[in-house]
Amino acid sequence: MRDTDAARGRAGARRQARAARYDALFAPWMLAATGILLSLAFLFQPLLSVKAALLCVFLTAALASGKRVSLATTLFVTLGILAANLLVPLGRVLWRAGPLIITEGALREGIDKALTFEGLVYISKATIRPGLRLPGRFGSIVARAFMYYDRIVEYRGKLRPATLFEDADSFMLAIWEEAGAAVASGPEARQRRGVCGFVIAGLAVVAAYGALVLGMTAR
Amino acid sequence: MTPSTPAPTEHENHAPLVRPDRADLTALLGAFCFFLSAIEYMIPKPLPFMRLGIANLPLLLATELLPLPWFLVLALVKVVGMSVISGSLFSYIALFSLMGTLVAALVMWSAKRIGGRFISSVGVSILGAVASNAAQVLLAKYVVFGDAARLIAPLFLGMGLVTGAVLGLFAERFAASSRWYARAAGRPDA
Repeated sequence: MRDTDAARGRAGARRQARAARYDALFAPWMLAATGILLSLAFLFQPLLSVKAALLCVFLTAALASGKRVSLATTLFVTLGILAANLLVPLGRVLWRAGPLIITEGALREGIDKALTFEGLVYISKATIRPGLRLPGRFGSIVARAFMYYDRIVEYRGKLRPATLFEDADSFMLAIWEEAGAAVASGPEARQRRGVCGFVIAGLAVVAAYGALVLGMTAR
Repeated sequence: MTPSTPAPTEHENHAPLVRPDRADLTALLGAFCFFLSAIEYMIPKPLPFMRLGIANLPLLLATELLPLPWFLVLALVKVVGMSVISGSLFSYIALFSLMGTLVAALVMWSAKRIGGRFISSVGVSILGAVASNAAQVLLAKYVVFGDAARLIAPLFLGMGLVTGAVLGLFAERFAASSRWYARAAGRPDA
């Protein structure tokens, strides 16, 4: 048990170190912009083999960003989407075993939907950072919500089943009053980053669009 | 107290009531959505967008606290913030979240306004949860599952019924006894 906890702690520390290195390279707004561009190129990629390769790249990037990645969940969700699509036959029959019919169209569509679903998840994981600040009044409300969220996470009170409603009420009052009394902190100090992040993000976008052109012409 | 002296009203027994800043209240409720969403994230589920909907609790409470424009802002803050925390902003998961939250928000808001005192929080919550799940099943049909989405519909809608009822019961009891809720609504403490 203690060994498991220690291993978990080491894995967590490694992920945090990866996240710190990643954040030192890329500004959150630049990653978000890269994410939008990559999502579009990925979404319209017609070749399944290229889409699968891109999914692997995005999964690696998500790992490098320090995000938690579960290959078991990915596999489970992929198989679920594939199975659901196979239930509705479409196109040439590839294989038949009693009531189970695998058709080419349904298989292709299932693979495409599963790859797209998982690929977009990993693009998001790799390009959306908690430090991302949205512009405008809406952005300032989201930022204030994150400030409250930090206070909620740090709250040290207890929620006991026997006094759940009273405890929940005290919790809400404490968070609201504490935050109301707190002086809003100024904008986060800008971290200086080199050009390396720009170059990597730029290359990723160029590669994704190159693959899109390749896919469209090869089709 | 002489007969000529009017009896103090309920409001006069308390500090002057000030209606809270709506942007601040929206941010606080949004933060609770993030928190409840983080709790929900830890509960295993067969598909990433198949949620119990506990993060809709602040929306349910907000039906009485916020006017429609701010209520919709809260719904958007919930979707955007949760997508940023979970890192799913550019994925279909965010699309499911947006669809489910907006449909639930509009249905809950309308039910509360049309039903008035004839509908309880349990009713509002069940309507919101079932509408949200129905919208997500419909979206799943076009985005991931195709026609097979109808197979998950009964389970998904049944789940909405149960979680909606549980959340509604919690919201009703909390709203009736909470001092915070009374203050947020600009009423004297419960």
